[in-house]
Amino acid sequence: MSPRITIDPITRIEGHLRIDVEVNGGHVTDAWSSGQMWRGIEVILKGRDPREAWLFTQRICGVCTTVHAITSVRAVENAIGLEIPINAQYIRNIIMAAHCLHDHIVHFYQLSALDWVDVVSALKADPRATAALAETLSPWPKNGYREFAAVKDKLTGYVNAGQLGIFANGYWGHPAMKLPPEINLLAVTHYLQALDIQRQANKVVAILGSKTPNIQNLAVGGVANAINLDNPSTLNMDKLFMIKDLLTEVAAFIQQVYLVDVAAVAAHYPDWLGYGKGVTNYLAVPDMPLDTKGTQFDLPGGTIMAGNLGSVKPITSFNDAYFRDNVQESIAHAWYDGDWSRHPYEEDTVPQYTDFDPAKKYSWVKAPRFSGQPMQVGPLAQMLVGYASGHELTKKWATVVLDTASSLAKTKLGPEVLHSTLGRHACRAVRCAVLSDLSLKHWGLLAENIGKGDLAIFNEPVFPSGEQRGFGFHEAPRGALSHWVVIRDGKIHNYQCVVPSTWNAGPRDDKGQKGPYEASLVGNPVADPQRPLEVLRTVHSFDPCLACAIHAVDAEGNEMSRVNVL
Amino acid sequence: MNEIGVLGLGNVLMGDDAFGPYVIKHLESAFRFPPPVLVLDAGTPGLDLTVHIRGLRALIVADAVKAPGPPGEVRLYRKADLLKAAPTLRMGPHEPGLREALLTLEFSGGAPEEVLLVGAIPDDVVYRVGLSAPVQEAVPAAVAEILHELDRLGAPAEPRETPLAMDLWWEAVEGER
Repeated sequence: MSPRITIDPITRIEGHLRIDVEVNGGHVTDAWSSGQMWRGIEVILKGRDPREAWLFTQRICGVCTTVHAITSVRAVENAIGLEIPINAQYIRNIIMAAHCLHDHIVHFYQLSALDWVDVVSALKADPRATAALAETLSPWPKNGYREFAAVKDKLTGYVNAGQLGIFANGYWGHPAMKLPPEINLLAVTHYLQALDIQRQANKVVAILGSKTPNIQNLAVGGVANAINLDNPSTLNMDKLFMIKDLLTEVAAFIQQVYLVDVAAVAAHYPDWLGYGKGVTNYLAVPDMPLDTKGTQFDLPGGTIMAGNLGSVKPITSFNDAYFRDNVQESIAHAWYDGDWSRHPYEEDTVPQYTDFDPAKKYSWVKAPRFSGQPMQVGPLAQMLVGYASGHELTKKWATVVLDTASSLAKTKLGPEVLHSTLGRHACRAVRCAVLSDLSLKHWGLLAENIGKGDLAIFNEPVFPSGEQRGFGFHEAPRGALSHWVVIRDGKIHNYQCVVPSTWNAGPRDDKGQKGPYEASLVGNPVADPQRPLEVLRTVHSFDPCLACAIHAVDAEGNEMSRVNVL
Repeated sequence: MNEIGVLGLGNVLMGDDAFGPYVIKHLESAFRFPPPVLVLDAGTPGLDLTVHIRGLRALIVADAVKAPGPPGEVRLYRKADLLKAAPTLRMGPHEPGLREALLTLEFSGGAPEEVLLVGAIPDDVVYRVGLSAPVQEAVPAAVAEILHELDRLGAPAEPRETPLAMDLWWEAVEGER
């Protein structure tokens, strides 16, 4: 039997994502992705008032709170054909964009960068050489000798004290680490700066949402942000300009630091622009609506099949039939009763746990399919759909990241390298840059509309008797998110969430087709099975978030995770 | 600027994982807090916790804890207890929790000087709204520990003459809101 590696963090009372890979000759030859937790929001929502569903869906996941809130109100509005005032659309858009900027920055710097950056190697860096290099890459004002020297001193103090604190569990000195010491120091310095910047993005969400992490300002029919430019307790001139300043500050970091760092990592790991391709069918939904109905958008959506950008087929409205009619979920390999593939309106969730059996059932995650095909979702999907649709902002920032990486790698890198592990990181940075521009654009649209005297924020929802069905979608940080609701006589009858990590982390379907995580791991190198850094690199590149519900602290430091090699 | 944070962590849709939010709702309904105290049901924010605790002088957290003992047992931990274990393997944005948020701030600056975790050992953490009986019974004991800590920190809470109704919106069923 081939060697098998299991990576299973058991950090909470129940586990979350478990990855099993089979390794032969230093490469992954097969892979299984398993969600280790059961969820079924409709069990809790059935019979409740559809106007309150967003309060509950916001609690599905403590990291993606706003995205489940906004998608829920969109689904209910879609079911009853309710338009919302344009101010509400813009306010929601700014919240979504700011949340996304925050989330992408944290994902790259705090959650993934240390897969590529060797913190211990940064101790060998010359801060002057780091500053000289940084100045050639970016006009960022905090790239000076003093910043780098201070971080090196701080790090040296940490290591000399015999502890690495937050960095203690990294794969330092691993043979797959390739960055020169100066780039490592640059990245650790930006890791610290990113902690400041992500707070600024979060402040925008807090100002408009009136609280974080769980926002309070939504309503089916609009938002609850009363607008009065002269009233200190409403959305006023002061708050609007505070938001603009914060967004401007965050945009500078993204465009001058994040994009450049991703390009530098990509240039030093050219192999990883080849590994991790996996499923090359892509799905993105349109977002940043520009009208009250959701028929015009600033971010395009659509599908691309078999990696062929020429095959792009658009998704064009909140009522798009191509999207609505082609989503199904399969439970052939998931721990639910039956082996059906069904449309979300028709699904039920009857858990039936059996053992982990790769040949039969091995995950709590269902396998979503689009026209029967597995689809990759996320920033890579969205950027490719944008690129293929001729979206100007996407092309602009994708060109910046590819040109920067090309000049550092001294070889021409085109969009074809984006179908890869590092391509997913690069596209997340590109999407972040696009959204940093769009957040400011939508701020301007909101300010202009308020300036015209339009202060409307809410249209009252009316629920007729009988049955209505609706769906809402949002291009969330981790990709296409959709909620599907069936309402009967004003009460929720069924509710399903098809989340981005379900598209990406789902198991095989009834035809045996692998999900995107599984397919992307095949072919990955594994230099040291005891320290499977390369497997984590590809899994992290998707920004997995299916942990979504459990949070008990392991206060006594018991076994926190496990890497088993059989 | 808040100086002291009282945060409830946990998911209100996951049975006893909601211990932290229940403690917060109890505190909010029965007490008033002096201005430097932030009282927040923070959900399950993962590393985003750093946003809420950075720069605080003292942090008090209520949460379900994985520890040996019977369900509903209240256990107290200080900062040194929490930091002595290594950070966890990162798979997704949730794996980092309280320990990782504190370790991150220890490196970057802005970690609270004092931390008290008031934990309750859960009975079951399953897809359900509401606490199990033993964990429900632990709520008053946890509230008492938090009040005691606020006294010690020089920021005592004052009982409300007439307690507000507890805002347990997730428990409300049809017609109650």
